[in-house]
Amino acid sequence: MSPTSTRTASGPGRLLVAVYAVLALAATARSTVQVLRDLDEAPLAYLLSAGAAAVYVVATVALAKGWRSVAWVAVSVEMVGVVVVGALSTVAPELFPEATVWSGFGSGYGYVPLVLPVLGLVWLRRTAPLDTVPEG
Amino acid sequence: MQPRLDASPRAVPSVTPRILDAVWTPLALTVVAAALAVGTWAAWRAARDQPVILRQLIAAGVVEALLVVQLLVGIGLALAGTTAPDGPTFWGYLVTTLFILPVAAAWAFAERSRWSSVVLLVAALTVAFLQYRILQVWAGA
Repeated sequence: MSPTSTRTASGPGRLLVAVYAVLALAATARSTVQVLRDLDEAPLAYLLSAGAAAVYVVATVALAKGWRSVAWVAVSVEMVGVVVVGALSTVAPELFPEATVWSGFGSGYGYVPLVLPVLGLVWLRRTAPLDTVPEG
Repeated sequence: MQPRLDASPRAVPSVTPRILDAVWTPLALTVVAAALAVGTWAAWRAARDQPVILRQLIAAGVVEALLVVQLLVGIGLALAGTTAPDGPTFWGYLVTTLFILPVAAAWAFAERSRWSSVVLLVAALTVAFLQYRILQVWAGA
């Protein structure tokens, strides 16, 4: 196995980081406008958007730099976030009067927020050094 | 529907804002066409298992130059009193879009595999999509 096989940012990983960066940029820019301008309209939704944006930034940097454990945590948080918020926004829409990046399982972003953490987890597992591949 | 020029009695209509106003939408469509051309080229090279080459970066540079021109035209229009209803979103898009191609090009060029071409493709599609959003926000959508 070549040394580059443990790197998270090469080959298909380069694309993964690029798509993560675009999503991080979109989520950060949008939530910045929302928090600065309309925070009192939907504080929970907009603070959640800001938190999600921060997680995307962390995931992008971690994947680009090869910080595997940080990337695992960030991508897992995204996976849980998009599933939980997606479900909540479906059964209790009054919680999120304004759309967040995770509302409707990321439908406002073409479901990229739902697909990306899955790809991220798969990629982290595939690039893991042999002795650290988790069970399952 | 484009926002009209400021029609208040005190405004002295000069010919420059009217030219800028007429240029706005064609310029945005030109950016879309140029970005899609760069994206098509990248897709072609990705399909043939080839990395990004310098000539593609020059093409991306042309798109970037158009984006700078667009920002300047947007500033000129704003100074003349015409701008999008949702200012923060509009300026956010106009400035954000400037970062995509340079960062993506640098990121793609460091990878000497087909994946560099896929990265450039994604960046070009993102720029084209942002133009679509910019036109929507400009029209007040």
